[in-house]
Amino acid sequence: MTSPRTLTSRDSILHAFGRFTDELDDFNDRRERLIKSSRDITNLSKKLIFLLHRTVTEDPTETDDRLLGLRAAARAKGKLQEIQSLFAALRGELAGDRFWHHQRNISPGLQEYIEALSFAHYLEHRTLISYDQVQATLSDPDGAPFFPLPLEDYLLGLADLTGELMRFAIAAIPRRGGRQKASDVCSFVRACKADFERLTPHFKELRKKQHVTAQSLEKIEDATYAVVVRTSEYDLPPELLDDLVAQTLSRAADHSRFGEETSRKRPRDSVFDDDDD
Amino acid sequence: MDSDNLEKINQILDADVETRERIKEHVTEFDKKARTLSGILNRIHSTRTEQMPTLLDIARPVLTSCQETTAALADIIPPHQFWKWKDMWSNSLRSAVFSAALIEYLQSGSLVSLPQAAEILGIKTDWQDRFTLSVEDYLHGVINLVNELSRLAVNAVTLGDFDQPIKISLFVKDVFAGFSMLNLKNDLLRRRYDSLKYDIKKVEEVVYDVSLRKLAPSSKQPS
Repeated sequence: MTSPRTLTSRDSILHAFGRFTDELDDFNDRRERLIKSSRDITNLSKKLIFLLHRTVTEDPTETDDRLLGLRAAARAKGKLQEIQSLFAALRGELAGDRFWHHQRNISPGLQEYIEALSFAHYLEHRTLISYDQVQATLSDPDGAPFFPLPLEDYLLGLADLTGELMRFAIAAIPRRGGRQKASDVCSFVRACKADFERLTPHFKELRKKQHVTAQSLEKIEDATYAVVVRTSEYDLPPELLDDLVAQTLSRAADHSRFGEETSRKRPRDSVFDDDDD
Repeated sequence: MDSDNLEKINQILDADVETRERIKEHVTEFDKKARTLSGILNRIHSTRTEQMPTLLDIARPVLTSCQETTAALADIIPPHQFWKWKDMWSNSLRSAVFSAALIEYLQSGSLVSLPQAAEILGIKTDWQDRFTLSVEDYLHGVINLVNELSRLAVNAVTLGDFDQPIKISLFVKDVFAGFSMLNLKNDLLRRRYDSLKYDIKKVEEVVYDVSLRKLAPSSKQPS
């Protein structure tokens, strides 16, 4: 094998730099493709998160949490598979040492996906999805990963989950059994925050997100406090209180164009319609 | 988080932390060697061209000693993780490439190629996905070379060598032509590339001074 030679002429320098140009162009083009894919993944993941929120809040008469959770998970399934196939399509671009060269390019999409995935998982199982479980969703049926799941992206995706859970909890409060749900979410988020605390020294981004998680937690805590204080004024079981509130709402719905169709007891041309006001 | 998951996470984290610490030890060594080399090679600005080979003889063993460091690093990096860790030794490596390129220029007047620089630093091709000389690290080293040569052009003349700036001028213009072929993003490499034109300007001014005053042997009339 001959020893590599020095570049002794302008031509040899230009030739060598021509090869560098090809290599750098190759990297930059791939980088652009991956950033585009990451944005598509982020877009789909965000839509899925909204879908999950809608599914668990759209039907005010449905009070079985289990059912709502399963419904959310069922709707999520197809969307999640769509996102997973986007990841699968990136396999070739991320093979071997290329993954770490481009990890930053797909990180945003990956974290958003994990946020959506873990939210669907929570709604179905009321637990935190594990690292191995996430990696399994990003692997082919034989278990071969599309790419190695970075610990940082897993943790940061979960940190964002706590924000969604906060929204979920607060949206749940006005509904029947909502306070219990909010309280459960509160304990869950508190536990997550505690688990992450030990890991923050190693991940700067996680430290920042912990602040946001702390704010979310406080919002849920304030909301559950407010509800507990108010209900303590009445010496009735919480479910009865919920029913009282629901009845008031349904009477109001009868008098306006808003509110649920199913709770309408009077026909549209009733003397109480305010169409002509 | 259940305990199995926590255990898995801690496992991954501990492995990463350990890798990072082992790399750090070697990078500290690497950095020392790179600085020693820099210190030795800084003397080119006060060394007459005839004495240059002696100076290079002092520098070469230090450069060769980098081979132990690159081998040690290659050993630590898990497969496929080169790009995960490379920023830790990037600066030292670029400095070493610069030194190798400077030594090559001073002894042969040519540009060290990337494979050649890798070989000098003991970087083996079958370490590929764990430790390699990336195009970017090589290019940064070469840019540092041009910076140094523009300074040498001035100091060589001070020491009486009126040929050196001419040679340097031709050389850096060829290197610049190479760089101009690249499609660069707005990153550090782009900014460093932009700085090359100032080096070229500086060398041109020295060449101008030397040629007009007919100091360079090539501009002197044959006797």
